[in-house]
Amino acid sequence: MTKATPPWTKALMYLLVLAGAVVMMFPFIWMLSTSFKTLGAVSQMPPQLIPNPFRFDNYAEVWNKVDFGRYTFNSFFIVVFDMAGSLLSCAFVAFGLAMYKFKLRGLVYAFMLGTLLIPGQITMIPTYFIWKQFHALNTYVPLIAPSFFAGAFGIFLLHQYIKSLPKELYESAVIDGCSPPGIFFKIYLPLCKPALAALGIFTFMGAWNNTLGPLIYLQDRKMYTLPLGLMYLKNESSINQAVIMAGAVITTLPVVLVYLLAQKQFVQGIASTGLKG
Amino acid sequence: MHKQGFWGYIFTLPFLINIVVFIAFPVGFSAYISFARWDLFNSPEWVGLQNWIRVVEGREFWIGMRNVGVFALIFVPAQTLLAFGVAFLLNQAIRGKAMWRLFYFLPVITPWLAGGVVWYWMFNYRYGVLNWLLSSAGLTSIRWVDSPHWLVVVASIAMVNVWKGMGQSMIILLAGMQNVPKEVLESSQIDGATGWKQLTKIVFPIVTPMVFLVMILSTIAAFHAFDVFLALFGSISAGIPERNVVPNLIIYRDAFLLFKMGPASAAAWLLFVIILVITLFQKYFEKRWVHYD
Repeated sequence: MTKATPPWTKALMYLLVLAGAVVMMFPFIWMLSTSFKTLGAVSQMPPQLIPNPFRFDNYAEVWNKVDFGRYTFNSFFIVVFDMAGSLLSCAFVAFGLAMYKFKLRGLVYAFMLGTLLIPGQITMIPTYFIWKQFHALNTYVPLIAPSFFAGAFGIFLLHQYIKSLPKELYESAVIDGCSPPGIFFKIYLPLCKPALAALGIFTFMGAWNNTLGPLIYLQDRKMYTLPLGLMYLKNESSINQAVIMAGAVITTLPVVLVYLLAQKQFVQGIASTGLKG
Repeated sequence: MHKQGFWGYIFTLPFLINIVVFIAFPVGFSAYISFARWDLFNSPEWVGLQNWIRVVEGREFWIGMRNVGVFALIFVPAQTLLAFGVAFLLNQAIRGKAMWRLFYFLPVITPWLAGGVVWYWMFNYRYGVLNWLLSSAGLTSIRWVDSPHWLVVVASIAMVNVWKGMGQSMIILLAGMQNVPKEVLESSQIDGATGWKQLTKIVFPIVTPMVFLVMILSTIAAFHAFDVFLALFGSISAGIPERNVVPNLIIYRDAFLLFKMGPASAAAWLLFVIILVITLFQKYFEKRWVHYD
């Protein structure tokens, strides 16, 4: 198409893409801009895009006074365990499903796809009850433990990947006298890196952005994650908008950085599965 | 070769536990609870259809469904159309594709509450930047999510949701468009097909399965809307104004603020059944216009 496209069409295309991008980016720009404003400048009309004076103290305030330092740590704590649990268990189960023939294999595979259809609202109350029985309310256990039991989405992603690896790998390892766990940990797990990277990013985003889980399970304010911290800030009428925006920036920044580092895997994951973590 | 059965079960064990503990038991228990009176602390008491009747005959659930239904009617077409347009533009010979894609995709990965608090502030009637833009253009200010006109409220929420979700639809559509063979486009151009003709006669028919996928996903997302209401309407107290109520808020409030597990479970199942019916209806409709090779 390139050669025949008239210049005015090209210009129009760029203009449209640019206009759309400005609209999409505007809330981020506004978040960032407001986060550096003084209390007076926050509600000043006309609003300033580049704050003058430029105030960094909102970050110090939200980080220390409103405990966002702690919320950031809490969020990271949960995310790290979730990632470790979900990567390991999903690869483990996917390996079993892909490599061994056993009686219930077809059924387990069907269940795996079936569970994707069951909405969280249905299982939410009984699951809450389970954790209550285990005295795990107001701990991070309900937010972390389930990831060690292999979610369907992750199994699906890794199953497709392991299936695409040559079977001879397994056979030659058997001839060399390697046990099944050895084959999994020494050969297949390292080979799954690209698929694990994609799943890792999905898990990161899912755990980092999770609101409902922490909302249900965490009562103690010291245990809050960043989204809950933001909700608390927003409902606290005495807190200045600029400080709230600094909190929003702190909440957003890690996901954006992770995304930038691993854009390719993430986009491919979405494009090939049509799903988000 | 190793014992197939033994190792098969060993490796799938984590998921077998998952199915039993976190899926089969909760699904069964939740179905049971929907026919019981239960406050989470005392033992459940069977009450038959009472919860279901209460939800079905009550006003609130249906107001929630209507709210979320109207929301979906605005949100799904708007999101699909815009995502299609952007995907089509980004599929052209345009420079800096990765950068443009990033700009459109960033809201998708942003935590809902972070996006929500920014929009909430931009929506502010007196100090919000959106009303400032309107007034600088000589238009009157809008109350957005606080508007007395209910449709304005729903449209404002839809606007935030389109911002949040459009990038994901765009990626799926873009992946579909990249399947359109370049040779077909080139030969059609030699035959004199203009951009519009190419779009409607070649690109669109080939990506209809993706358009359909995007529409189903965003419909389901619309009916499950929760975070956006949390972010825009603030704390969920026991009393949610009727016009802002959506089924998921009702379920959350009944279960975790009022400890009425029975009605909450019945509402969760009813919502699930309704979404299933809508999805099946869309699936039926799909055969009539989606083009497969």
